[in-house]
Amino acid sequence: MPAILTARNVTKTYDAGRSGQVVAVQDLSLDIEEGEFVCLLGASGCGKSTMLSLFAGFIQPTTGEVALRGTPITGIEPRCGVVFQSYALFPWRTVRGNVEFGLKMQGVGRAARRERGQAFIDLVKLTGFEERYPTELSGGMQQRVTLARILAANPAVLLMDEPFAALDAMTRQVMQEELLRIHATSHKTTVFITHSLDEALILSDRIVVMSPRPGRIKAVIPNPLPRPRHVAMQITPEYMALKSSLWQLVEAEMAHHDETSSPQD
Amino acid sequence: MNVLLLAINFAAVAVVLGAWWLSTGQGWIAPIFLPSPGDVLHAARIKIANGDLLTDVVVSARRVFLGFGLAAMVSIPLGIVMGVWRPAKAIMDPFVSLLRPLPSITWIPLSILWLGIGELQKVAIVFMGSWIYILLYTYESTRRVDPLLLRAARNLGAGDGAVMWEVILPGALPGIIGGLKVTLAISWSCVLTAEMIAAQSGLGALIWQAKDWGNLPLVLVGMLCISLTVLVADWLALRLELVLLPWERGRRG
Repeated sequence: MPAILTARNVTKTYDAGRSGQVVAVQDLSLDIEEGEFVCLLGASGCGKSTMLSLFAGFIQPTTGEVALRGTPITGIEPRCGVVFQSYALFPWRTVRGNVEFGLKMQGVGRAARRERGQAFIDLVKLTGFEERYPTELSGGMQQRVTLARILAANPAVLLMDEPFAALDAMTRQVMQEELLRIHATSHKTTVFITHSLDEALILSDRIVVMSPRPGRIKAVIPNPLPRPRHVAMQITPEYMALKSSLWQLVEAEMAHHDETSSPQD
Repeated sequence: MNVLLLAINFAAVAVVLGAWWLSTGQGWIAPIFLPSPGDVLHAARIKIANGDLLTDVVVSARRVFLGFGLAAMVSIPLGIVMGVWRPAKAIMDPFVSLLRPLPSITWIPLSILWLGIGELQKVAIVFMGSWIYILLYTYESTRRVDPLLLRAARNLGAGDGAVMWEVILPGALPGIIGGLKVTLAISWSCVLTAEMIAAQSGLGALIWQAKDWGNLPLVLVGMLCISLTVLVADWLALRLELVLLPWERGRRG
């Protein structure tokens, strides 16, 4: 299958004032295939969020290239829809208004907007909350709205930046199951950032383990766990074995990182 | 509001009124320093009965409304442009820095020279005392719109126009309205100053003339009237806010 999203020898450096330049991502290449669910896994500072911002077009690579279906991404790219960790809902719009926003921007008429918006509100199980404002909803419900908003806009790729990190453990599991259910029907290409091994294992087709300073790919692990998946799977021996090998990779990286990092950071 | 708190409100007012009534009634304070509540009420009754008080309130309110409205019409668009377009800020900055420290009262000599002592001059004083505050509040509110929301909107396909109408304006609106509320009180103090210095009508003129006649009860009537008028204006502004900012309802309780 052809790659839909590609990074070619991408390096991204930031100016960090007096301490000079910080290399957030170094010479990173990655192909993400159509319909694939890829998790970028790593500790903070490994450049996984930088990669997401590059794919979304929020920032541009210092050298190298990111591309969607072969076309370089040079500005904010609506075909790569982002689900933000802090929801980024418009507080002045109701649930319905938020979900319909992308459709409105695409010039979809009022009636069609309403119908398609409602379908996605139903999909994320927020039926009955259409006229509520985001501040009137719990964190889990707000994240559902974000999900419905981006799905309604129907981007080619879904970019998710630790979307469930701010939720409590129970809600997070429910949201993971929801996402699995939605992915099973939509098959939308998804790049999902996480620092949770369990989350990566439950959701992904492929896990990209990243290592920090400078951010680069440590290993790419295919995830053979059969679908449909659910949280109960986490007690199977197969799952345990996978998690254990993944943990060894990450742990080695952490130990290495601890040795090399200077005391003041 | 909590019933107990409301009761405390009333009790506090009753205590102060009672102390006032007692101290003036017993002659502990001479009437030329503080007239009794009864005298104030009597002065108010006369002024209300002949319609003078209402006329003065309306005259002052019209001056505030015109000057403040004009300032809002100029400063809100200008503040938004300054917030989104750096060169506009660079153009305005020196003038804002120079004019901001000037109380509106300092504009009275020039405004009289240019505009005479008619209505236009009062409106101009209100305008000069209000526009910079509205400008600065609007500019700040525009700058403070969450950049994450701007990213999210563009990521959902919004162009420059949509970002302005759908994100920056509604995002800045609560701050702009908050600024208008603060500025409205400032506008009132501007009009009173202007009326005290050169006017035949309005609440400021009422107070100043009463002072000249040694009519202290009437001075207090004028002062109370200003408080009540601003309270009513605030209440109206709050109503307007609830209509314009339905998403903030929860936050305000």
